[in-house]
Amino acid sequence: MSPASPPKAGLGGGSHEASPVNAGPDGGGAGSPATAAAAPGRRAPLLALDHVGKDYAKVDSRGGQLRLVWDLLRGHGAANVYRALDDVTFSLQPGASLGVIGENGAGKSTLLKIVAGVIPPTRGRVTVNGRVGALLELGSGFHPDYTGLANIDLAAALLGLSPDEIDAKREEIIAFADIGDHIHDPIKHYSSGMVVRLGFAVATALRPHILITDEVLAVGDESFQKKCIAWMEDYLADGGTLLLCSHSMYHIQKLCRHALWLRTGEVVQYGAAMDVTQAYLAFHEEKSARAKTPIDPRVAASTGVYAVQSLDIGPADVMAQGADLWIAGEVYSPDGRVPVVLVGIVRADGTPVYGVATDMDGVAPTRVSADRFAFSVSLPALPLLPGKYFVRAHALDPEGVRLFDHVERPLVVTGDSREMGFVRLAHRWNDR
Amino acid sequence: MPQATSARGSVVPAPSAGVRDRALFANFLRRELFTRYLGSITGLAWAFVHPLVLLVVYHFVFTTIFKTQRFGNESFLAFVAVALWPWLAAQEGIQRGATSLGNYAGLIRKVAFPHELVVYASVCATLLLQFAGYLAVIVALVIYGEPLHLSGLLIAIPLWIVLAIGVIGVTLFFAALQVFVRDVEHVLMPGLMILMYLTPILYPLNLVPEAIRPWVALNPFSWLVGRLRDALLNGNLALHWADAVAVVVALALFFAGRWVFRRLSPHFEDFV
Repeated sequence: MSPASPPKAGLGGGSHEASPVNAGPDGGGAGSPATAAAAPGRRAPLLALDHVGKDYAKVDSRGGQLRLVWDLLRGHGAANVYRALDDVTFSLQPGASLGVIGENGAGKSTLLKIVAGVIPPTRGRVTVNGRVGALLELGSGFHPDYTGLANIDLAAALLGLSPDEIDAKREEIIAFADIGDHIHDPIKHYSSGMVVRLGFAVATALRPHILITDEVLAVGDESFQKKCIAWMEDYLADGGTLLLCSHSMYHIQKLCRHALWLRTGEVVQYGAAMDVTQAYLAFHEEKSARAKTPIDPRVAASTGVYAVQSLDIGPADVMAQGADLWIAGEVYSPDGRVPVVLVGIVRADGTPVYGVATDMDGVAPTRVSADRFAFSVSLPALPLLPGKYFVRAHALDPEGVRLFDHVERPLVVTGDSREMGFVRLAHRWNDR
Repeated sequence: MPQATSARGSVVPAPSAGVRDRALFANFLRRELFTRYLGSITGLAWAFVHPLVLLVVYHFVFTTIFKTQRFGNESFLAFVAVALWPWLAAQEGIQRGATSLGNYAGLIRKVAFPHELVVYASVCATLLLQFAGYLAVIVALVIYGEPLHLSGLLIAIPLWIVLAIGVIGVTLFFAALQVFVRDVEHVLMPGLMILMYLTPILYPLNLVPEAIRPWVALNPFSWLVGRLRDALLNGNLALHWADAVAVVVALALFFAGRWVFRRLSPHFEDFV
């Protein structure tokens, strides 16, 4: 077998299709498996998911387990299911890199397990045309009583290597793991970091066509993380294909060209890594902002805090680049003294753009009643570049020292500008 | 194809599923044999000693206390020894095999591989050790002067293979069930013990009352025990039509067990 011919069988090779008994009416057809591998000239995707979904059986009682077994044996799906993943479609070309993001329980691990072939999809179809290396949990295949060396052999057998092939790779693995003489000790005496090193070394020694990693970068010390990232960058530069799941947007942006955002099992967004990660971060910002409602005056009075009672922006939540923006609102003062109001604008991901307080400019909010003060500020010809922002108002004590409360409003600036950054700075191109 | 080439680090061509499964089975089998018996100092010896102790105890109870006469022309020792090892092999194979998937839970949750290899390895490890003990005891009994026909091994060895096929089938069934219903292992132990006494291992079939004898004979193990005795104690090497039936029954058990296992195994990941 020449190294250039596409491997058709082996670990994760071929296609795993939802079993017809479990497939819904739109379930995968009975097409020939891995048809894409048949045409060597065409640039076939290494991995293709077609409307993939996964249901997990829910069992509440002991009798429920017997019932579940009976249902499965009869070929019915489980009667009571939890939908972990639904209608996921994407494909990976050779050399592509896809990051999967989402909150806990969004279905990320389920998706990776389906791609790795650990579980079959309930609906849809998965086609894999290459060797899949999965790092779902580093060291999960290790046996604690075995030495590091014996575990290398076991892991290699799981990955589909023959004893001869593993002999050729062993030195490379030991060198990458870099755990010294501990390689001869049973794994149970290893620190968790050493297990991770060995796990990563084994899984990557094969240079799989598709590497699937689930949060593995979160473990291990700083220097090993760097080593792993360097390895992955090198792997990608060599034309490797990566499917990475991480909570670190930094890692996703650094390693992945595309990203897939999952939420409660469904795809929210699929596109360029930068766009998707920013939308994801913005979503979380908005979520925490939504959770924050203005403090009730009675609560504020009883706890003695200065609170923003209302915040309005105009002319609208969506405005054209360069238009005039006004921000106005009311602040509650528990002791009737004049509070300080801080108004600012942040990017959707929380990056501050600009902020200014009343005391900085030597002004004060206007008293409208005994304990209420109004403020209003205009920002003519707003120089923000197109994008999503938040306008924030903070209430501070009259000394401008203690920050009590803040309320925010989303602001979208529209426009066709291709300038970069957040703000248009005054500039002039000179002749020389 | 760009995906198969790499500037640095060679890409090993993916092996066929068969090659991979054989390598994995060999690794699991080694793991079973090692962790089971090398974990303790006397482990391997204990695997052989345990049935031997049982044999001595049965011999003492039945010949010294109950004063059992010889069954026909063979001695009680040889009579029981020939049947006891295969039974213990099957019993231990099923019991260990039924719970074997739990020991591989980490793998099943995170790695794609055929789960049935775990059961095969577990059962085969047990049967291999018990078979080694069986051969050792038969040779020992012959040296001791018991009237055994070594030529009977020509029948006995294929019978062990038939036994292995059937036991693997039964174990696949219980192992798959055990993942979902934890009570299986608790039901298996007394169940197998009762079955042992309902099988003519410590007594000949012709001592069983006429009325229930057909029911006892219906147990495939009763047939196996009788066939082993016929070959090793009487030296009867003739093939019989029932041998073919036994092969069919063993294969039927295997394929039925495997069908159940494969039906349930896609769902192991969530329950194991």
